[in-house]
Amino acid sequence: MDELEFRKRIYVNPRDLDDEILEAARANPDYQKIVDETLAFEDSLCSLIEGPETPEGLMAQLLSLPEKDELESETAAAASSNVSPIRARKQSFFQYYAMAASLILAVGIVFSLSVNSGPSSADIVFGNKLLAHLHHDIEEIDDITNGETYEVLGLDEVNSSMANAGTRLVSYSAAQQFDVRSAKPCEILPAYESAHLVLEGSHGAVSVIVINNSPVDVEFSIRDDRFNGIVVPMEQGNMILVGEMNEDLNQYTSLFSENVEWVI
Amino acid sequence: MSDVPVLKGNTKRQRYESLVAALYQDVFRYAFWICKSKPMAEDLVQETFLRAWRSLESLQNDKAAKAWLFTILRRENARQYERYRPELVDIDGQSIAESDSNEPDSKMDRELLHNAINRLESEYREPLLLQVVGGFSGKEIAEILALNNNTVMTRLFRARSKLKTEFGLDTETDEES
Repeated sequence: MDELEFRKRIYVNPRDLDDEILEAARANPDYQKIVDETLAFEDSLCSLIEGPETPEGLMAQLLSLPEKDELESETAAAASSNVSPIRARKQSFFQYYAMAASLILAVGIVFSLSVNSGPSSADIVFGNKLLAHLHHDIEEIDDITNGETYEVLGLDEVNSSMANAGTRLVSYSAAQQFDVRSAKPCEILPAYESAHLVLEGSHGAVSVIVINNSPVDVEFSIRDDRFNGIVVPMEQGNMILVGEMNEDLNQYTSLFSENVEWVI
Repeated sequence: MSDVPVLKGNTKRQRYESLVAALYQDVFRYAFWICKSKPMAEDLVQETFLRAWRSLESLQNDKAAKAWLFTILRRENARQYERYRPELVDIDGQSIAESDSNEPDSKMDRELLHNAINRLESEYREPLLLQVVGGFSGKEIAEILALNNNTVMTRLFRARSKLKTEFGLDTETDEES
């Protein structure tokens, strides 16, 4: 084991060194020195991080939260039932007014969607959030684009992550045309359950994100300075493909759309 | 593996009280380090436990209680972060002053280390804090941060490597890993 590998294995968790590490340290004084230094450093680190004392009275405050919460709920309920007749009439008027306005707005949206098949402003906002999410995971994407070692995942591992989005790949024969290097649940938007696969494309990492809901109803493209992508409405959700600017995403679109089964 | 609190009692209230007793100190320490302010950490912990109380029925597996609380806290912190971002520096001195040692050299080292931890990018600091404060395994950290296990391992290595580099105990190895 070379020194870099040795350091890596110690630094990941100095408090949990395996026999192989300890044996290597016993056999090499330089390695033993690294272990000793690292453990001493870890003691200082843990002592500092675990140092802050909890404020006096915090536990009592936390234990009293249920009572306060119930009291607040009761107060809120009492307030809402204690409405004067005049105010109630006013509320009633505004309720009808709001209902009529909502109806007009809904008709407008339906008409707008039927006339205009392009992405709405909400769709564009959603696209921007997707790209921001990718930049949040940029380290892993860069690693895969740069050919860093990530093992190729099997169908079971891929489907384990896709289950989070209520989907699974029904056939891996088509999917085996490319290597899936990462598969995990992700939280693009808190309201949607989704899965994020990263595969090795022709020009670097290609992200495939499957969402168990349909934030968008029309297919449209997204892009920024680096990535280009496509948002695809599917049977019961959305699929998003994003790769480097010169990646041809069409080859993946049909492969995935034909092999994804919704099992919600 | 993280500690496994036992949520005692049959009623919701009893389960909640055992949850507070077992975990409030760890939750506070984690809050303190991620929001860098003792008053804000207190608010954050209260909000976290209030949400936990309201949705205690959704906690199906008691063994996952700590990870569940830490996840609630991270989300609540993100929500507050979006609303309000104060200029915070008052973490300095808090954990250092509470050190048992009053030796100047030791205090100076702790201050340096303290600042080094705060300078770490959040992608490295978060897994480190989850490991040290929460006692979570790599797999559990991966689940809390929605990352894969390899990425967590790499970030833990880089976090310690960066800290040790600042103290001249290591050379920067980012590009090599």
